[in-house]
Amino acid sequence: MKILRVAAISVACWLASLAAVYAADPLNVYTIWPENYARPMFEEFEKATGIKVNFLRFSSGEALARVIAEKNNPRIDVLFGGPVETFAAGIKEGIFDSYKSPSFDKLQPRFKEASGQWTAIADDPLVFMTNTAFLKSHNLQPPTSWDDLLNPAYKNMLQMADARTSGTAVTRIFSVLEVNKRDEDKAFTYLKKLRQNVQVYTKSGGGGTLPVGLGQAGGGIFFIVDALETRNKGYDITISFPKEGIGAAAEAIALIKGAKHPAEAKKLIDFATSADMQSKLSAHKIGFVPANPDVKTDPAVAAVLKGANIIQIDDEYAGANRKRIVDRWVKEVLPAQ
Amino acid sequence: MMRAASAVKRRRVASDPTLLVTVLILWVLLALFVLLPLGQLILQAFLDEGRFTLAPLLEVLADPTHRASFFNSLFLGASVGGFGTALGFLFAITAVRGGLARHWLTFLDAVVLLPLVSPPFTTSISIVFSFGPTGFISHDLLGLANVSPYGYWSTALAETLTYFPIAYLTLRPILAAIDPNLEEMAFSLGGSRWQVFRTVTLPLAVPGFANAFLLLFAASLADFATPLILAGNAFPVLPTQAYLQITGMFDFKGGAVLSLVLLVPAAAVFLLQRYWVGRRTYVTVTGKIGQRSRSKAISRFATVLLTAACFLVATTIVYFYGLLVFASFVVAFGANDTFTWNHYRVIFSEGLPAIRDTLIIAGIGMPLGGFYGVLVGYLIARRRFFSRQAMEIVAMINYALPGTIVGIGYLIAFNDPPIALTGGALIIIACYVFRYSPTGIRATVALLQQIDRSIEEASSSLGASSGQTFHRVTLPLIAPAFFAGLGIVFIRSMTAISATIFLVSLSWTLITVRILENMTELALGPAAAFSVFVVVAVFVVISLLSAVLARLRAPTASAAARSLLGG
Repeated sequence: MKILRVAAISVACWLASLAAVYAADPLNVYTIWPENYARPMFEEFEKATGIKVNFLRFSSGEALARVIAEKNNPRIDVLFGGPVETFAAGIKEGIFDSYKSPSFDKLQPRFKEASGQWTAIADDPLVFMTNTAFLKSHNLQPPTSWDDLLNPAYKNMLQMADARTSGTAVTRIFSVLEVNKRDEDKAFTYLKKLRQNVQVYTKSGGGGTLPVGLGQAGGGIFFIVDALETRNKGYDITISFPKEGIGAAAEAIALIKGAKHPAEAKKLIDFATSADMQSKLSAHKIGFVPANPDVKTDPAVAAVLKGANIIQIDDEYAGANRKRIVDRWVKEVLPAQ
Repeated sequence: MMRAASAVKRRRVASDPTLLVTVLILWVLLALFVLLPLGQLILQAFLDEGRFTLAPLLEVLADPTHRASFFNSLFLGASVGGFGTALGFLFAITAVRGGLARHWLTFLDAVVLLPLVSPPFTTSISIVFSFGPTGFISHDLLGLANVSPYGYWSTALAETLTYFPIAYLTLRPILAAIDPNLEEMAFSLGGSRWQVFRTVTLPLAVPGFANAFLLLFAASLADFATPLILAGNAFPVLPTQAYLQITGMFDFKGGAVLSLVLLVPAAAVFLLQRYWVGRRTYVTVTGKIGQRSRSKAISRFATVLLTAACFLVATTIVYFYGLLVFASFVVAFGANDTFTWNHYRVIFSEGLPAIRDTLIIAGIGMPLGGFYGVLVGYLIARRRFFSRQAMEIVAMINYALPGTIVGIGYLIAFNDPPIALTGGALIIIACYVFRYSPTGIRATVALLQQIDRSIEEASSSLGASSGQTFHRVTLPLIAPAFFAGLGIVFIRSMTAISATIFLVSLSWTLITVRILENMTELALGPAAAFSVFVVVAVFVVISLLSAVLARLRAPTASAAARSLLGG
């Protein structure tokens, strides 16, 4: 009975795999930073502490949904990276524990939640990123105002992220709100106009960078880290900033309530908020702006940012209104065509 | 005779303890992995704080975007069904009546297999790069500017190319079974070629058309990855909306309701296929089948046209996959075309856990799924027991449901104690086994129905025990179905995503999920390399299984492929 033998073997494998599932894991992390940014940092962490990080990457909305769903039986210890507004939404769901790392007191107020529910590990301004060849062939100057993006030359040629899954998109929408002095109707009128030039809203924040690099899209609004990564890969893109100002998202880290490895988790938070990790960003060509004042911004990143008008997005306002604004965006902006 | 009769009688007695225990165990498993998740999903949608309510459903129906996505899904499904059936018919008639040389037929078969054995969105990404504003086809070849690769047309194109092989595999044996002598007779009665085609060949193929259409409709209805990449925002469809509702907005209720709306057309298709089409097969039994000389049914000119059309489509598919292979070997697609092995190095180092997990899950799921399929199929076809028909239908449920529903149902049912399975491999394996083994069940039933029960009875009457009969007679008969079941579970474990994207976890992730993640980030190279790996792995395993099947003298290789890919 060959079948029986196969069945017996597979049952044995099955049991073995079950054992593997329930074996103690090192340190479990959901990262919102894409793997190519997060992996080198976790490898540096392992090199420094000997603690191995077991991680899975999700878009910020997906990661938040997962952590909330697992609230009663947390599967991870740390939520790593991702814009602060995601963490602000998480606080409302009671998914984090407070923890203040040694670097906590050094940080600017906007880089930390007062009670230590999250701490920033980097800052990430949004930029306008355009395809250089597209600009040339359409006789366009790099956009330097929000209204420049409404130019019909961009019709169906912009890509940016979908607010349902991406923190990049939410930061973008709150930038528009802040630029319009939080006049929601005015901001949404603009967003609906911008919709006419958008080819597609992508699931993840960096989803549109490759199409822009390839010229499948003319431009879009992205985080500087993704724009610089696109340029590093060899695509000819132009980075510019709106004179009215554009928001930045602090990228945060937080300890999960009920974490199974709290001591190791705190070590990772110590590492990520300190110069230990943030000084390594530059070496790995990851274009985040360090949040820790002891670390110098990479000169190349600083050169791009020179003269840019980066505005602050009020975390409390963003956290309190996120769901309502995203719902409104889904209802009003998405179908407006 | 007496012994045989009593043996039959004995087999029908439900008090047979082995049978009873087996049936009980199967029912427990089916209740746990089929009925419970579906029931939980329905509860989630219609219960609000312990009270029954239709409010969430009405809310969904009142939302114009959701209404639009419902009709979009139906429209897309109908289009893919129509286009795909037409394309499948084109390939089938060319293969059957085109008089192509063997090696060309093999080439067409291999190309047709390609979309079926690769992750479902691989064509999507090629379409984006071929039909975008600076795409190779739309811009460089056709000189169009400002084309958007997102929306209805590209989604329909990608899904048609992905699923038309199902229509081809359904229609080809039906066309092949039409005795050319019938057409011959029609000619000798003075019919023109068109008349004969219209009044003889086509009507005989009608049940095949209906079946192919429904299969494609269901496949499109369940597909969520293609629209996620290609549909854009002007053409929302239900599975994608349900996914975004849950993972993006963390709205389990809304996602559950949206998936249940999807259940209505899916159930309709399943019932239509089972009770209407399933009972209509026209067989042209004419006693002695005439010599299979080349049919004159199609003129030389039409043959050339058909063949040219087939090769055009085949070339398009090869081109799409060529693009993918190319992207997997260059530094940065479109910007830096220097050759590199780096993406493969990445998937075999950083991507290794995903590959390992997928292979382990596929490896465990394969024998379980094969065994389960054969067991249930044998019980349904050969044993009489209480609740047999109910079991047949319940076993098919997860297969007929769109993957999004199954995935969400599993997520809801197995997230919290007492049965907290999320985060493990077991939940993914169970999902694959109960979702894709029904192909094995059907293959077993079909094989057993071909063989008259009297063969087994003859064995018994010759003095063999029922165990010997099963071992010596029944088992060899159903071995091909077992291997078909193995194959389908393996292919789906390597390529399916709609259900399992909800079930991956820190410890267990899947290649397909990694590909989708890579595609939505910047990493086209690794995504392409992963896809190439999947295609190669699946081709290797199918070849091995085909070799085994050939040794077991399965009716024909194409029948085996059909049962492999029928879902």
